[in-house]
Amino acid sequence: MKPLRLAIAGLTACSGCQLSLLNCEQELPQMLERIEFHFFPMACSPAILEGEYDATLVEGCLSMPHELDLLLALRQHSRYLIAVGTCAAWGGVAALRNGENREELRQSVYGSSTATSGSFSPQPLHAMVAVDAFICGCPPEKEELLNLIGDLLRGALPSPISHPVCSDCQMRENLCLLTERSALCLGPLTLGGCGARCPSLEVPCEGCRGPVPEANLSEALELYLQKGYDHAAVLGRLRRFCPEWKS
Amino acid sequence: MPAHFLATKALEKLLSLLRKQGELHAPQRGDDGVLRFALLKAGDSPDLDALRTQLPPKKYLLHPRETILTYRAGSGYQEPQGRSSPLILFGVHPCDLAGIDYLDRLFLGDAPDPTYAARRAALTLIGLSCFPDNLCSCHLHPSTLKASCDLYLQRQEEGFVITSGSLQGTELLEKLKEIIEERDLPIPEDTRRFFGRQLPPPSQSELDAAMPDWQELANHCLGCGACSICCPTCACFDVLEFGGLDGSSSERLRCWDNCLFKSHAEVAGGMSFQKNRAERFRYRYRHKYRGFGQLKNIPSCVGCGRCRAACPAGLDLRTLAERLERGNP
Ligand code: SF4
Ligand code: SF4
Ligand code: SF4
Ligand code: SF4
Repeated sequence: MKPLRLAIAGLTACSGCQLSLLNCEQELPQMLERIEFHFFPMACSPAILEGEYDATLVEGCLSMPHELDLLLALRQHSRYLIAVGTCAAWGGVAALRNGENREELRQSVYGSSTATSGSFSPQPLHAMVAVDAFICGCPPEKEELLNLIGDLLRGALPSPISHPVCSDCQMRENLCLLTERSALCLGPLTLGGCGARCPSLEVPCEGCRGPVPEANLSEALELYLQKGYDHAAVLGRLRRFCPEWKS
Repeated sequence: MPAHFLATKALEKLLSLLRKQGELHAPQRGDDGVLRFALLKAGDSPDLDALRTQLPPKKYLLHPRETILTYRAGSGYQEPQGRSSPLILFGVHPCDLAGIDYLDRLFLGDAPDPTYAARRAALTLIGLSCFPDNLCSCHLHPSTLKASCDLYLQRQEEGFVITSGSLQGTELLEKLKEIIEERDLPIPEDTRRFFGRQLPPPSQSELDAAMPDWQELANHCLGCGACSICCPTCACFDVLEFGGLDGSSSERLRCWDNCLFKSHAEVAGGMSFQKNRAERFRYRYRHKYRGFGQLKNIPSCVGCGRCRAACPAGLDLRTLAERLERGNP
């Protein structure tokens, strides 16, 4: 079997998604038998972009001109381009202050340094290029990453998830923190697949996997309001991982 | 008529006898306050007043996520091997017993499902009577599904009247001889009477797609999926296949699904038989109150009330059913 030629790139993000893949220590040797990690600056040097890729996995959002150049080059040379993690899929935490004055934000962090000049409001990958599949999560689940590799090895793409965190949560027969404790749990609006990690530990879902398809925001906002959370508080929470939530 | 009577103080003896038959599970309240069917350790008491566990017993027969086929190069697709060890469920109420009857008809019908069949054959059911609360609807919509079990415990003052419903139940009764008294008791009616009835089949008229109720329900629904996960007769599943890192092996899984999800009626090419949630509500209603597929004419709602208890939006199909099934506006 021809090895899978893979590129893995990190844009504006914390590298946690790439690290999640590298943390699959048990499985890495087996992966190396089938995969040529050709361009993977975080793990392999030298990292030279050349030739065509079967797939490119991209972590992080776009906030710098050189990131856009890299993304366009990767897109051009990849059969599949996959957004990995909530930052790549939705903007994520880097996009938290989108909508505020960019230059003021930049100066408040970097002062007069020019290192970040040219930076723009963080955008998800799909704002600039066609994305073939999305793996959400901050970071994604190990299983999802391994299944993604398994799918790519067959020339396939992962099937999209369409259930919310609540579904995972109810399957585990957890106490519902929203209905029983009036907690601000974002489970009904958030994409499932994490096995309801947080509610299973009696911690409300923070929405780190971004929106579930067909999320019923207006009804959820009404319900949260009945529980004592005003719209602004809920939207503020939701937008920590996805600035696209609008009331 | 003489009845087999088991005093409450002798219950522990019954439970230890049951433990000898296999793993004993019964309703218990967890530290978080949730009622669940769970392993009943020696010395622990089942919650006899538990009206509804969060998940029904279906969780033992169909796991939320399980491998149904394994593919290996050379040997092709194989069904999972492995036997089911004996499991005894104590304290199953009539609605849940009827729910199991429904699942049996689905999974043991013309094309029996081997995984289900093995688990079902290893299952012993000890029923327990109950009184409907304001979320139950067994009494509103009687059902032709049977609330059968191996032993049934009808609560009385200071004890239970025990009846057998199977050969295995009779054998168990035999072993209980020492702790059972024969008493002359008037046996009160129990909630099993709402099940196993000869009933006229539900209306077969097509449910009006233009009825505003479907959209109304859809507007309020959060799409959380709780209503079918907790339903004893929701058995829709999604089938997913995941490839191994060797590039050839794979696992095919089935996972619980919900007909209100976007993906439920989606087919290749992104086409869907039910494009919006309003259409999906009509579908859900049809399954619960009219029945379809091989089980056409057999409404699948057994009235356990779980969907109403679980729905964060407080949705309740009973009012609609009152109107459509009984003609009460
Ligand atoms: S605890 Fe949160 S995630 Fe779990 S069912 Fe309730 S709302 Fe949904
Ligand atoms: S429960 Fe919510 S916050 Fe926690 S991992 Fe899952 S999606 Fe993220
Ligand atoms: S539809 Fe609701 S009340 Fe009826 S059996 Fe299902 S969960 Fe119980
Ligand atoms: S439980 Fe209620 S909100 Fe959740 S999917 Fe069912 S009807 Fe919708």
